[in-house]
Amino acid sequence: MIFRAAEDADLIRQAARGSVEAYNLLVSRWEKRVYNYLLRITGNREDALDLTQDVFLKAYQNLRKLDDPGRFAPWLYRIAHNEAYSMFRKRRPETDVDEIEPGATGAGITVGGSAVFPIELSLAVESALGRLTPDQREAVVLKIYQGFKFEEMAEILACPVSTIKSRLYTAFDLLKTELAPIKARGVS
Amino acid sequence: MSCSPFDLRDYFLRELSGPQQRQVEAHVKTCATCREELERLGFTQAALFALRDEEIPQRIAFVSDKIFEPSPVGRWLAGFWGSAARLGFASAAMLSAAILVYALRPAVPAVVAQRAPQQIVQTVSDAEIQARVDAAVARASADWEARQAEKNKQLAADLESARKTLQWAAAELDFSQRRELRNRVLTANYGGPNENGGGK
Repeated sequence: MIFRAAEDADLIRQAARGSVEAYNLLVSRWEKRVYNYLLRITGNREDALDLTQDVFLKAYQNLRKLDDPGRFAPWLYRIAHNEAYSMFRKRRPETDVDEIEPGATGAGITVGGSAVFPIELSLAVESALGRLTPDQREAVVLKIYQGFKFEEMAEILACPVSTIKSRLYTAFDLLKTELAPIKARGVS
Repeated sequence: MSCSPFDLRDYFLRELSGPQQRQVEAHVKTCATCREELERLGFTQAALFALRDEEIPQRIAFVSDKIFEPSPVGRWLAGFWGSAARLGFASAAMLSAAILVYALRPAVPAVVAQRAPQQIVQTVSDAEIQARVDAAVARASADWEARQAEKNKQLAADLESARKTLQWAAAELDFSQRRELRNRVLTANYGGPNENGGGK
């Protein structure tokens, strides 16, 4: 991981100096993570794919503004977060962003309206995540699935660490309750 | 409510420092309630991990792909303005070019420029330059000789004037000496005036 970060920093420096090849390599390294982050906060593959494309294009255009290559990940996810919420606002401008739920149905990740994970646990997790508020869900995604530290999450979401912790711990309490029946049935 | 010295969730999510982490670990060994809470957190996280990352359906278009290719002008401008080093190099190159142009530009003779600026030519041959130099030297030499002749003439006049002055002074001296001698002779032969009021 440390080697990868060091290599990323080199690639970022080369890309900032105009190396398209270096940037393409960066895209290859990060596209899956960014896509899955966007997939879990939007709940829609097409949206996640389009947004991922926009994120990397915007990152390329603004790469020279990144002062510290070591902060590439939070910086990239900040762009992804902004792109996703910008899309939410465009689609439902009259609705508070906090009220938006992924997939619009709360039934988890869907393509064309049908769930794509047949496994019971996966469905249960999708359902539980769908019941969280967008802020809580994003906190869970960034912490559990993307592995960011609280300070990095605060940078990505532009809010204090205390707010991040509050969202995350509230979400964890809700998830524990939601997933308790699964555990009681012996699925783990 | 947890009785742990630090928030168990912070511990579980690895957000505590090393010493804090060790304090919680020591506490959990002796506290069944906190162990159960950690197990619930562990199960929740394990359940969340059941949702696997998906492969991206199609590769993200690279910036080198045709659809993102900027126009040649845009690419040149981006390359030129995007780099401080390139700007510095461009500045240095422009400065060098200016110095080179200044150093290699044809010299304009001052005489030509003063007398007939409209007749300034682009190229001047070596013979012309030599002729102009010779003429300027001849003019300067003639001027010097004229100034020297004038000085000599003035000096000769001054010497003549001095000679005449000396001649006049010598004549005056001679006249004065002869009058003194005549007075002595007259005094000796005819007696001078009696200083006691009577003659001999």
